[in-house]
Amino acid sequence: MENTVVSATKFNAWFGDNHVVKDVSINIEKNQCVAVMGPSGCGKTTFLRCINRMHELIPGATAKGSLKLYSDEVYTMNPIYVRYKIGMVFQRPNPFPNLSIYDNVIAGYKLNGLKVAKADLDNIVQKSLTSAALWNEVKDSLHKKGTFLSGGQQQRLCIARAIAMEPEVILFDEPTSALDPISTSSVEQLFHELKEKYTLIIVTHNMQQAARVSDKTAFFYVGELVEFDDTKQMFTAPKDVRTQNYITGRFS
Amino acid sequence: MDARIGIRNTKSILFKSFIIFLAFVVTIPLIIVLLYIIKQGVMQVNWHFLTHVPAPEGEKGGGIANALVGSLLIIGMSSVVAIPVGILAGIYLSENPGTKLAYYSGLCVDILQGVPSIVMGIVVYFWIVKPFGFSAISGSIALAIMMLPIVIRSTEQTLLLLPPSLKEAALSLGVPYHRVILKVIVPCGFAGILSGIILSIARIIGETAPLLFTALGSNYLSFKVTGAMESLPHLIFTYATSPYDDQHDLAWGASFILLMFVLILNIFTKLITRKWKIQL
Amino acid sequence: MRFKNFPTFQPYNLTTIFKIKTMTPLETEIVSLKKELISMWMLVQSQMNKAKEAMVTFDKDLAREVLIKEKRVNSFELKIDRDCENIFALHCPVAIDLRFLLAALKINTNLERIGDIASGIAFYVVESTENFGMKSLESTSLLRMYDEAVNILIDTRIAFEKEDTALARSIFKRDEVLDEINENAPIAVAEIIKEDINNIPEALYILSILRKLERVGDQSKNIAEEIIFYVEAKILKHMDSGKRKIEGE
Repeated sequence: MENTVVSATKFNAWFGDNHVVKDVSINIEKNQCVAVMGPSGCGKTTFLRCINRMHELIPGATAKGSLKLYSDEVYTMNPIYVRYKIGMVFQRPNPFPNLSIYDNVIAGYKLNGLKVAKADLDNIVQKSLTSAALWNEVKDSLHKKGTFLSGGQQQRLCIARAIAMEPEVILFDEPTSALDPISTSSVEQLFHELKEKYTLIIVTHNMQQAARVSDKTAFFYVGELVEFDDTKQMFTAPKDVRTQNYITGRFS
Repeated sequence: MDARIGIRNTKSILFKSFIIFLAFVVTIPLIIVLLYIIKQGVMQVNWHFLTHVPAPEGEKGGGIANALVGSLLIIGMSSVVAIPVGILAGIYLSENPGTKLAYYSGLCVDILQGVPSIVMGIVVYFWIVKPFGFSAISGSIALAIMMLPIVIRSTEQTLLLLPPSLKEAALSLGVPYHRVILKVIVPCGFAGILSGIILSIARIIGETAPLLFTALGSNYLSFKVTGAMESLPHLIFTYATSPYDDQHDLAWGASFILLMFVLILNIFTKLITRKWKIQL
Repeated sequence: MRFKNFPTFQPYNLTTIFKIKTMTPLETEIVSLKKELISMWMLVQSQMNKAKEAMVTFDKDLAREVLIKEKRVNSFELKIDRDCENIFALHCPVAIDLRFLLAALKINTNLERIGDIASGIAFYVVESTENFGMKSLESTSLLRMYDEAVNILIDTRIAFEKEDTALARSIFKRDEVLDEINENAPIAVAEIIKEDINNIPEALYILSILRKLERVGDQSKNIAEEIIFYVEAKILKHMDSGKRKIEGE
C-alpha cells in the first residue's frame, strides 16, 4: 500500500530467553492514530520500543523479523537516523531539568550539535509549542527551567520536543498514565490535532482512552497481535473472543 | 495503671533529653578546637606572613609563603590527574552496574579508600622517589591516588540517583551515547560531582604522612615541581615540634590557614549543593 | 409556578451552542446527532403535512410521494441507532450525555412510528376510490385534530432544539384535546354512516385516521417525556395527569 508508514512482518523480540513479541505482522497507514492495548506483560511496550530501536539499548535484548519505515528496514538503518524520523514520548514527563523551556524544545538539535540559524530556531520553537498547545501558556517564560511546569504542561513540552525534530511517526508510551484527568484530556485533545500531520502510535492501558482517540486499535495478548481493526468495529463487535473478554473486563 | 503510664512518659522524656544532650556534646570538640586555633593563629596572619618564607632558625619574622605555594601546586597537580580519571571511572561504574569489571573495580576502589596514607607514601617512595629523588610530583601522585576513591564513589552515587527516563529522553532524540553522557547526564549531576571533588580536596589538603616521604619539604620558595617542595601540613609538623617559639608561631598561623581552607571548602560544598542542585 | 426551579444548564441548546470554547469530540458527536434527529423530525413533519394535503385534495400522486419518502425516514432511524451505538461504545458517556443518548434512541423510535402513520394515511388516499367529503372531515373534527397533532409535533421539535422543558410540559395538556376528539370519534362516525349507508368505506377510513392521529399525539407526548428526562433527569412516564400536574406545574 502506498500509504503504509510502519509495517511489521513476522516480527519477534526477546529479553534474553524470554520471547516477548511473537510473530507480529501489522500495517500502519499515514496520518492514522493507532492505539495499542492489552494486559500487562503482553509485549505492547516492547513492540513499540522496537520501532524506534530503543529496545536494543537494554542489555540482552534481541529482535528478529522485518520492521519497515516506508520501504526501508529499520534495523539496517542508522539508529540515530531512525530516531530522528520516529520520535517518542514517555510515560513520565521527562523534560531536561538543566535546560530552559526554549532549549528543551530544540534539545534534539542542540544535543546533536546540528547547526541551525537562530531565527530558524525561534521559528521551530514557536511552531512546536503551538502544535503542542503550549505556546500561549509559556511564551513569556521561555527561558525558565522546564521543571516548574505542571505535569500536563511538562508532557506537552515533551511532545513539542519530539515534534521539533519533524518526525514522520510519533510513538507514545502510556503518555497520560502519570497525569491527572484534566491534563489527560488536554493531551488527548492534542492527539486529534497531531493526527493531521503525523502518524501516531499510542500504547495505553486505558481502554476508554483507546476508544476515544484512535482510528484503529491493535489488541496484543501474551506477545501476539490478536486483532487489529477500526476502533468502532473493535468496541462494538470485536471479532476475537479474547478481545471481547479483555474489553468487557472478563479477564480473570 | 496511671502510675505505669507515668513512668513510661518519664522514660520517654529522659531518653529524648539524653539524645539532645549528646547531639550538643558532639559539637563541643569542634568548637574547642576551632576557638583554640583561631585564638593562637589569627594574630599571626598578615600580608608579611603570607608572602615571605620562614626566617632562619632563631630569627623572628618570616612567613609560610613556600608552604602555601607548595600546597597549592601539589593539590593542583593531584586534581588535574584525579578528577578526570575519577569522573570517567565513576561514569563507567554507574552506567554498567552489573558487569564483572564494575564489581571488581568497585571493590578495588573501596579497598583503596581504606589504605592508610602513610602506606601510600611509602609505596610511592619506593617507586618514584628512590629512582628519581624527592619531588612535588611524587607527592601529587600519592595524594591523587588518595583522592580517586572519593571522586569515583561520589560521581557514581550522584549519577545513579538520576532517573533513567533522562537518558531515555536523550537517546530517543537520536543523541549518540557519548553526547548523552557528556551533555545531559553529567550536567544534571554536576552539583553532586562537584561536591565530591571538593570533599576530596578538603580531605587531602591536610594529609601529612605521604608528603613526608615524597615532597619532603624545603625552606625555599620554589616552583620547580621536580624538586622537593614545602607544604602546609609538613610545615606544621616540622615547626610545631621544634624548640624555637618563633617557629611555633608559624605553626599556629599555618594551622589556622589550613583550618580556614577546610572550613571554607566544606561550607562552599554545602552552598553549591543547595544552589545548583538540579530539581529533578 | 415552579418554572423558576428548572435547571438552567442547557449544554445542547442548539440556539446557544456556538460558544467561544471549542467542543470535545464527544460534544461534537452529540451535537451532530441532535442535528440529524432534527432533520428526521422535519422530514416527518413534511410527511404529515403532505399526507393531510393529499387527503383533503385527494391528490394520489402526492400520496405516492409520501409512500416513497417513507424509506428515507426508515434509513434515518437506522443511521441514528448506529450513531448512538457508536457513541456509547467509544465514549462511555455519563450524566446528561448518557440521558441524552437514551432519550435520543427513544425519540428516534417515536419519530419513525409517526412517519409510519403519515405513510399509512397516504396509503388510504391511494387505496380509496372516492375522495373524503369535506362535511365528514368537519363533523368529526378531523381537520382540527390533524392541525393540532402537527402543531404538537412542531412544538416538541422546538422544545428539543432549545431544551425548553416548559414547552415540553405544555404538550401534555394539548394531547388531552386530541384524546377527547378521539373519544367522540365512534359517535361522530356513526352519524356519518346513519346519514348514508354508502358512506361506510369513507367512514371507516376516517375512523382509522382519527385513531392514527390520536397515536401521533401519544408519540409526541412520549417524546416530550423523554426531553424532560434528559434535561432535568425527571421521569414523568406512566404518571396519571393529576400527579403530573403536581410534578410539572
